[in-house]
Amino acid sequence: MLAIDFGADGSVVISGRLDAAQCQLAQSFLDRVEGPVTLDCSRLEYISSAGLGVLLKTQKRLSASHGKLRLAGVSRHLCDIFRYSGFDQIFEIEAAE
Amino acid sequence: MSASRAFRRDVAAMDELFAFTSDAFGAEGIDQGLRPIVDLVLEELFTNVVKYGRKSEAAVRVELSRTPGGVEVTVIEDDAERFDPTAGPAVDTTKPLESRKPGGLGLHLIGKLVDSIEYRYVEASRQGRTTFRKSARGAGKDGE
Repeated sequence: MLAIDFGADGSVVISGRLDAAQCQLAQSFLDRVEGPVTLDCSRLEYISSAGLGVLLKTQKRLSASHGKLRLAGVSRHLCDIFRYSGFDQIFEIEAAE
Repeated sequence: MSASRAFRRDVAAMDELFAFTSDAFGAEGIDQGLRPIVDLVLEELFTNVVKYGRKSEAAVRVELSRTPGGVEVTVIEDDAERFDPTAGPAVDTTKPLESRKPGGLGLHLIGKLVDSIEYRYVEASRQGRTTFRKSARGAGKDGE
């Protein structure tokens, strides 16, 4: 299951599993955000290539209007996935402590 | 010992697929640290069958067994067209944002995450079998 909503500090908090069956839910939410946005990934357990596509599409849209998506609280496993995908070159990524 | 289950060709079956790996990892005593990788590789293989495979009612079978320090997984597709997931096109992950397009990362990630992967296709029975292995020792590849 996946949950995505605004957190108290204005960041977007995503939790659960961002797989092919859940990416439409995440895309629908992220299509509505504007400007610089921090995506709190500290409770994101899993991401597949379908989920990576959601993040990439959002980054491209925000970048076109001088915004960006920043990924925060990223676990080691997700850091590896982002690195293998080259996302460390096109996203600002803050690893989990 | 091994675990085996069949899944309908539908992205909505993903939850059942993940429930299967969860059950099998517990029953077989497999290192839980390997499960996100196994889930990811299985999802990529399964969604390829659903999206690009032959339109068929034949279920997709997954077999999972423990190996010394790791796990071996086989995805069996009956009534299949030949599609070798080990022979996907190279992906340039160094392109700048404006040149990147969503999609195409699934097979690339599989190659990065598993210790080994093999594909076999039997023309006579129209059966495709993809077997991959992952061990905790091989997890160094994941954390390189």
